[in-house]
Parts: sequence; C-alpha cells; structure tokens
Amino acid sequence: MILDIIISGLISGSVYALLAIGFSLIYGAARIVNLAHTAFYMVASYCIYYATHKMGIHPVLAMLAAIILVTLIGLVCYQLFINPIREHEAAVLIATIAIAMAMQEVMLLIFTGDFLSVPALVKGYLKIFGVKIAYQQLLTIGAALLILAGVWAVLMKTRLGLAIRSTAQDREVANLMGMNESRVAMITMGISVGLAAFAGAVVVPLTIVNPHMWMHPLIIMLAVVVLGGLGSLKGSFAGAYILGFTEALVVFLIPFGAFLKGSVALSVMILVLLIRPEGLFGIAFEEER
Amino acid sequence: MALPSKKRGRMGILGVYLRKLYTLFRGEVLVLPSRIVVFLFFVVLLFLPVVTQDPYLLRILILTSIFAILAASWDLLSGYTGQMNFGHALFFGVGAYSSALLNLYVHIPPYGSIPLGGLAAVLAGLIIGIPCLRLRGTYLALTTLAFPIILMGIVFAIPGITGGELGVSGLSRLSSSRLYDYYITVVLMLGLCTIMWKITDSKTGIIFHAIREDELAVRTAGINTTRYKLLAFSLSGFFAGISGGLYAHFMRIAGPSTLEVSLSFTVVIWAVFGGIVTIYGPIGAVFILFPLLEFLRFWPEFRMLMFAVIILLILLYMPDGFFPWVRDKIEKECPRCKVRNVATRKTCRICTAPLD
Amino acid sequence: MKIPKFLLSILLIACLVMAIGLPAYAAKVIKIGVIGPMKFMQGKGHWNGATMAAEEINAKGGLWVGKKKMKIELVKADSNEFLSMTDATNAMELLLTRHKVDFIVGGFRTEAVLAMQDMAMDYKKIFIGVGAASDEICTRVAKDYDTYKYWFRGSPFSSTYLGKTSFIHLGTVAAILKMYLHIPKIKVAVVAEKAMWTEGMIKACEVYLPRMGMDVVGIWRPSAVATDVTAELAAIQRSGAHIVFTIFSSSVGITFARQAGELKIPAAMVGINVEAQKDGFYEATEKMGNYVMTLNTYARGVEYNELTPRFVNTYIKRFGETPTYTADTYTAIIYSLAPVIEEAETLDADKIVAILENREYAVPSGKHKYMKDAQGRHLHDLTWGPGYLTSLGVQWQDGKLVGVWPNRWKAAKGAPEITYKGIVPYKIAPWIIEKYKK
Repeated sequence: MILDIIISGLISGSVYALLAIGFSLIYGAARIVNLAHTAFYMVASYCIYYATHKMGIHPVLAMLAAIILVTLIGLVCYQLFINPIREHEAAVLIATIAIAMAMQEVMLLIFTGDFLSVPALVKGYLKIFGVKIAYQQLLTIGAALLILAGVWAVLMKTRLGLAIRSTAQDREVANLMGMNESRVAMITMGISVGLAAFAGAVVVPLTIVNPHMWMHPLIIMLAVVVLGGLGSLKGSFAGAYILGFTEALVVFLIPFGAFLKGSVALSVMILVLLIRPEGLFGIAFEEER
Repeated sequence: MALPSKKRGRMGILGVYLRKLYTLFRGEVLVLPSRIVVFLFFVVLLFLPVVTQDPYLLRILILTSIFAILAASWDLLSGYTGQMNFGHALFFGVGAYSSALLNLYVHIPPYGSIPLGGLAAVLAGLIIGIPCLRLRGTYLALTTLAFPIILMGIVFAIPGITGGELGVSGLSRLSSSRLYDYYITVVLMLGLCTIMWKITDSKTGIIFHAIREDELAVRTAGINTTRYKLLAFSLSGFFAGISGGLYAHFMRIAGPSTLEVSLSFTVVIWAVFGGIVTIYGPIGAVFILFPLLEFLRFWPEFRMLMFAVIILLILLYMPDGFFPWVRDKIEKECPRCKVRNVATRKTCRICTAPLD
Repeated sequence: MKIPKFLLSILLIACLVMAIGLPAYAAKVIKIGVIGPMKFMQGKGHWNGATMAAEEINAKGGLWVGKKKMKIELVKADSNEFLSMTDATNAMELLLTRHKVDFIVGGFRTEAVLAMQDMAMDYKKIFIGVGAASDEICTRVAKDYDTYKYWFRGSPFSSTYLGKTSFIHLGTVAAILKMYLHIPKIKVAVVAEKAMWTEGMIKACEVYLPRMGMDVVGIWRPSAVATDVTAELAAIQRSGAHIVFTIFSSSVGITFARQAGELKIPAAMVGINVEAQKDGFYEATEKMGNYVMTLNTYARGVEYNELTPRFVNTYIKRFGETPTYTADTYTAIIYSLAPVIEEAETLDADKIVAILENREYAVPSGKHKYMKDAQGRHLHDLTWGPGYLTSLGVQWQDGKLVGVWPNRWKAAKGAPEITYKGIVPYKIAPWIIEKYKK
C-alpha cells in the first residue's frame, strides 16, 4: 500500500512538475500568467495523435515535430496577441484564456469531441515489489528530472540563463544594462511553450486526448505553482510532488472518494497559503542562487 | 414662451413640474452621448414588450440581464477593490443552489428564496474573503479559482441533497408568464446595477478604489481595509447570489454547471472586455456578447472560435475595455473643471474653457 | 447634432428587433426537431438516425395525415448540453417558438433533458427522449400526467433495467469463469464513475452480488473523466478480484480499459462502458481494449428480429459505423410517430398520445410497450424483458465488437432459452486463463 502511494505520487507529481516548470519560467521572466500553457500541451498531443495515427510516423519523430510546431505556434501567438498588451496585466490574462479557448475550438473543429489516444513510446510494464508500473510512467518520472536538470543548467550556466534571471529580477534595469528585454521574453516564451509541448509528448500516452483536456491540468498546475511560490522553479517542483502525493493518498485511503482528489489538492494549497501567503518558496528567482 | 392665463391655470402644477423635468432632462441627460445611451438602454429594455413579445427574444434578454447582474457584481469586487476574483462562479452557484434547496425542501417561494440565496452567497463571500485577505495579485486570483472547484467536489460528495450532476430540479417558476419573468429580471437588473453604481460613487466606493490603487496608503490613512475588503466580498457575493437564484428559478434547475470554471472565466472575460472599474462596462459587455454568442449559433462549428477571436481583437486594440474606448472617442474631459463634454464641442459647457 | 443620433439609435434597435422577429411562414410539412450535442458522437447519432428516417419517409412521398400527404422536415438543434445548460434550453426555445416544430426527438444529458422536458411540456409538444436513462424523467409522467404526458422514452430503457441487465451479464461471465477456471467463489471489484446515475447501481451491487454468490472486494469511484486509474488498478489487483464490474459512461471507460490491458490485470471486465460501445474504442485504447464486455443496443451481425438487419446494415452502409442507441431517433420517427400519425389522421398531440401510450409495436431493437407504475399510472417508460427489449451484451474480440449475450439465456427458471441470431461465445482473456488455470 505504501509503495503504491509512493509510486503513484511520484508519477502524478512528475506529470505536474513537467507542466509547472514551463509555466513558472514564463511567469518569472516576463510576469505573464499564461493560462494557455496547458492548451499548448493539448495542441502538442493532437499533433502527435495526428502524426502517429493518420500519418503513421514513428512516435519519437512525431514528438519532435510536435514540439517544434507547437513552439512556433506559441511564439506567433505571443507576438500577435500578448506582446502588444503586455502592460495591461488583466488584459494579458484574458488574452491567454481567449487563446486557450480558440485552440480548443480549432481542435474541436478538426478532430470533433471524440476521445482519442496516443501510442506509448515504450510499451510494456515491469514489476517492482509486486506493483506493476508501465514503462511509460517511469519515462515520465525520468523526463521530469531530466527537464528540471536541463532548465537549471540553462539558467545557471549559460548567458541566456543569466539574461532570463536578470529580466526576472528587474526588467528596466536589465534593459538599461543592454539586454534586449523583449527578445529575452520572447525566447523564454518559446522555451516555456516548448516545455509544454515536451510535457505533452511524454505525458499524453498516459491520458486521453480530447479538446477539453487542458482544463483540469491547468487547475492543478496553477495550484502547484501557487503552492510552491510563483516564479520559483524549486517551488514548482516541490509543489508538484506534494500535490501528487496528496492525490495518491486520497485515492488509496478513500477509494470511495477518488473523485475528490482534485478538491483535496486544492484545499491543501489554500491551507498552505493561509500560513504562508507567498507560497512555499517565495517569489523571484533570487531564491535559486 | 408664456401660455395664455386660462390654460396656465388649468395645467398649473403639473405643467410646471413637467417643464422642470424637461429642463433637467435636457440639461443633464441629453448633454452627453453616454448618458443618452444609458437612458435609451433603460427605455428600450422597459418598453420592448410593447413592440414584440417573441418568447425567444425575451428569453435571451432575461438570461442576459441575469448575467449582467453577475458581471457587474464581479466588477464591484475585482474592478474596484482590485481583488481579482477568478472564482466568481462560487457566488453564482451558492446563490443558485441555496434558493433551489430552500424552494424545493422548505417550500419558500421565489421572492423569498432568491434573497435568501443572496444572503447565503454573502456567507460564502465571507468564508472565502477571510483567507484571501493576506493574498495579493496572482496568488489571490488563483486561490479564488480553487473555491468553486472545491464546492463542486462537495456537491458531488453529497448527491443525496444536491442531486450530484443532475442538480436540483423541479423548482417553481419565477412568475406565471414569460412577460412577467422578463419584467422581474429587467427591473431587478436595472435596479441592482443602479445600486451598485451608486455604491461605487459613494464614500465606500472611493475607499474600494483607493484600496485597489494603494492599499498601504489607505491603511496609513487610518481606514480598516480588512473591513472594507470583506464588505466588498459580501456585497459582490450578495448581488451575484441574487443572479444565481434568478437563474435557478428561471431555468427551474440548479446544477453543477453553475459552479464551472468556464463560467468564472466567462465573467472575467465579459468584465475585462467591457472595461473594468466601470460597472456599466461589464453590463454593456454582457448585452453585446451574450446575444452575439447566441446569434452565432447559426454557425455552430465556428461559434466559440469567433467569440475567442473577437475577444483577442478587442484586447489588442482596446486593452482598457470596449466601453471606455468608445467613451473616450465621443467625449472629452474639460481641462479646467474636469467635467465631461461631447467630443464635438469646442468649449466646455460649464466653464467655457476651450477643449482640444 | 444630437437628434440624428437619437433617431439612428432607435432605427438600429428597430432593425434588430425586426430582424430577429422574422415570422415563420406557414408550412405544409411535419416539422420534427432533433436536439442533441451535435458536435459529439451522441448528437451525431441523433441526427443520423433521424435523417435516415426522414429520407425513407419522404422517399415514399411523406405520411398520410388524414387526406393530405405531408413530408417530414427535420430541424437540427445543437443543444451543446455537455458544455452549457443555457445553450440547451435556448436551443429548445428556438425549436418551440421560432421553428414551431410539431415533434421533438433526442436529448442526452439528464440535467439538460429535465429542463428541456419542462419546456416542451409547456408547449404541449411530444418529446421522445433518445439517450437519457434516468428514472426520474419518466416518474414525472406518473406524478403529473396532464403536464408530462407528451413525453415518451425512446431509448434506452431506464437505469433500473440497465442495472438489472448488467447484473445478468455479470452473472453470465461469473458462471463462465467458474466453469472453465474452477474458481470456487468469484470476487468482484466494482468500479463506478462518480456520478448520480451510478449511485443506485452501487447500492444494488452491495445487495445483489452476495445473493448471486459473489464477494464484493471493493468499490472504487474514479472521476468520470479520470485520465489515470493505475492507483485503482493496483488496488484491484491486490484485492484478488476475478471480475471488474464497470459502470462508466465517459472517457474513464477508455482509460480504464487501456491501462488494465497494458498492465494485464487478471480480471474480466464486464458491466456498462459507454465508450466501449463505439467503433473507435479499440483505437482509442491503443488496441488494449480486447475482452472488454459491455451493454449495447446494436452490434454487427446480431438480429433481434427482421427489422434489425435492415436498420443496422443501412446505417453502416450510409455512415460507416455501427449505430449506437442515440441513433434510435430512427425508431422514434419511423416506428413510434409515423404509424400513429397515420392512424390518428392528425398531428394533434393529445390524440397521438392517447394512441401511442397503449400501443405495442416491433422495432429494430425488439418491441416497445409502455409501462405503468405500481399504482397503474402511465410512466411512458419502456418495458424490459424477453420479447420486448433486452439489449445486448457485446465484447471486443480481436479488435471487433461482437455480440455475446443473450446466449442460451433463461430469463427465469423454466423459461425458454434465448439466443439472438449472430451471437458468438464469450472469450476469456488469455492472461486470466494463464493466472488461474491449474
């Protein structure tokens, strides 16, 4: 039982971590609450579905194609709709919701509301201590750790990472220092959307593809990010696993109430916020140092 | 223009009164296009049934009015006080379910259950307002998002009372005919929104606005911002709860669809589209967007897509909202006395300072 | 300058009002409104079935209404009931007031149907429900006959009977497992999506399964749209269940089947799984959905009576997929409404109700007879049982959905055995055989 909870928690936690990292990144760097983040994840899933089922392309190639395509779409959306109104925070928020809605509708138009699925990258399962785990789920855990390491490396060790961190700290001063702040924001947006697409590629074989699949992960992802502290990567990572384990606990301890796992996770988030209104790890990237 | 003494004697007081009214009208309402529009709005809504009583049209307008109250209540909270509420559906749902349950199990008729539903929503407002006191900005927005979802979980957990996904059905009608329904909702909408407008114009409203701008400064001025924030949550909850109750009785069913995240988002979209911190903005936005969405049903595939695209375009070109943008185009503010004038005037109507 | 603005605004408003208030021109057709979630499978089924029916009737020149022959005109209304209740009621309003339809068929989601039913009853229009199974919709007829008499259930039979039939399937599979794998006592894990319609069935499980000689080892309630049920599956495996009794209507049916197939959980799946009724299920589960058994109305090759192949094969030929129960709008129009209209010689709702509620007639899925409740009041609900409606038990075998029940089924001790034409034997999943065969 304990083992089930641990493994189940690790798996859900990794899924949320993958989504939350991209979201945190763009919030930290450009203060944009991108509510369309999971919608990009959805578009990537559909691309992979189309490529594997209708065009017969190998899943890994489909993944790469989807990531590139969705990143491009994300950048275009950003340039056209978000960049011009970056000064008005409320408007940006609504714009991202509208983009998410638009993408949902386009998917509904092209693929209709039927439930679809995507083949697993690695089929089969293995038994650890009597618990069956699908390889795809292990892949998800591995991918989450890999991505976190990758993002951390980029942020700490590269010049681009430095630029992102400085714009996160203080936009105007970064501009004064000669960094092209809007370009940095755009690149961060690209990375963020790319991460969402990557999350889609890795996670989607475990889930059902349909035009409304972006809503539920959005809520949990927001809870994760708020719990961990907006803008803090470490916080998002921690928050993801905390909420993942909470959900696993609910499902295992209260099988009758398995549907309540979302509500319980959100309640946990509210409780933490009552005690610490900035989330577990505070706001800006300075914490990362 | 003097009337012959005989006629003046007979018309007497009534004539004087009517003339005063007319002068007032000409001086206050006809002066500004925005006021003319509001006046026409009232007139058209109230006298529409004289022209047509098409039940479909009335239904659309009834639903629009209900949602207008909801959107205006959101603006009262989030626009004026700056507490971005992404879970406004909570108040709507609490209001709807409360009036439904009171009506079905305690047999309270609509004119009782709806205000009581509003009060229940006030309670909900206080319950969520208190944890939210310490939160700022995005944290507040995302936390408020969580509440309706938690309530939906609870609704599904006690299906014996709430009817689970079927909702509470078999409620009494709002009134005996579509026409009465129409007048009840429209008059209520006009009344409640005027009250909300008056609140924002009062001292309380100014404090709300100040809290949005700089809460610390307000506190240093010695005002108990906690109390005012909770007041904002409660007022907003009350009006939203009333709209929820009206909805439940009009549709004769209160279901989990009243608590959905998409409803919360839609309210925010309406308000931001119409212009926050205005009250009339969200109302106007609902009156434009809701019938538009319904009108677009003739292209069912493209409906929501067109809706989303329209929103995006409006945000690009009018990021402050549609109505403030329109108002800026047709009215100018006098630099000296700060009174608004029609844009086509060359000089201010009150202080005759040149406008440009 | 202000006066033209005045006039302009009034003019605009007048135009708007006139544009919307277009008068409906008098029609010499029978207007039937088809209301459903048109962007989803269920609504597509509604529309397809109705279209087939209307075309068939119009090809013969229409229906005889007294001395006149009148053709059928269908009006499509997208209720969008999965996403928006207001959309559903607005759509119904349009049908009733703008298009002034004579009859309405369709509806799916119970919450929406309850509201739509009220509206149709207000206008005294016959509404044949094709999709919602909730008992309450029909008990309203008994409680307030004069208001609700215009409602009839077209498909499926009520949730009570859905439950009863699923228990029969469960018993059948349990008996097969017992016989081939020599299992002394069958353990059952009940997995039901968290929804109102499953509540009754779960309570029934707790009562009936022990009576049928089976152990209930656990009850799990995932969300109807859960995307990960590995936690539940792990617990089920640990409990040693031989059968998983599924009560699903939404996407969790796909998730569950797929993950159970991937992890090769050694338990047979039987019960209600609406997603498994669709042709696209096998693909959606990435070919992991074999051996899943569920309730269904139609299956390729299975015939209830001679009307079945005509309907099913024409539907498959026309639309490329097996009809689901929402396509019974065809039955509603061709077999429920058309003959009664011709018999009544009028479109008057009251007269048609009076004839229809007492009628017994054959349909592609069996025979329709309208029930009365224990106090003898009309329910306008469908009768269940051999000779009437039993539906089918279907199983996915080798990527194809085939009928496996009723297969020499006796409705009661001493009753005749029933096997429909085209039924094939049930297959046990190889990994279950592997685990239990000694």
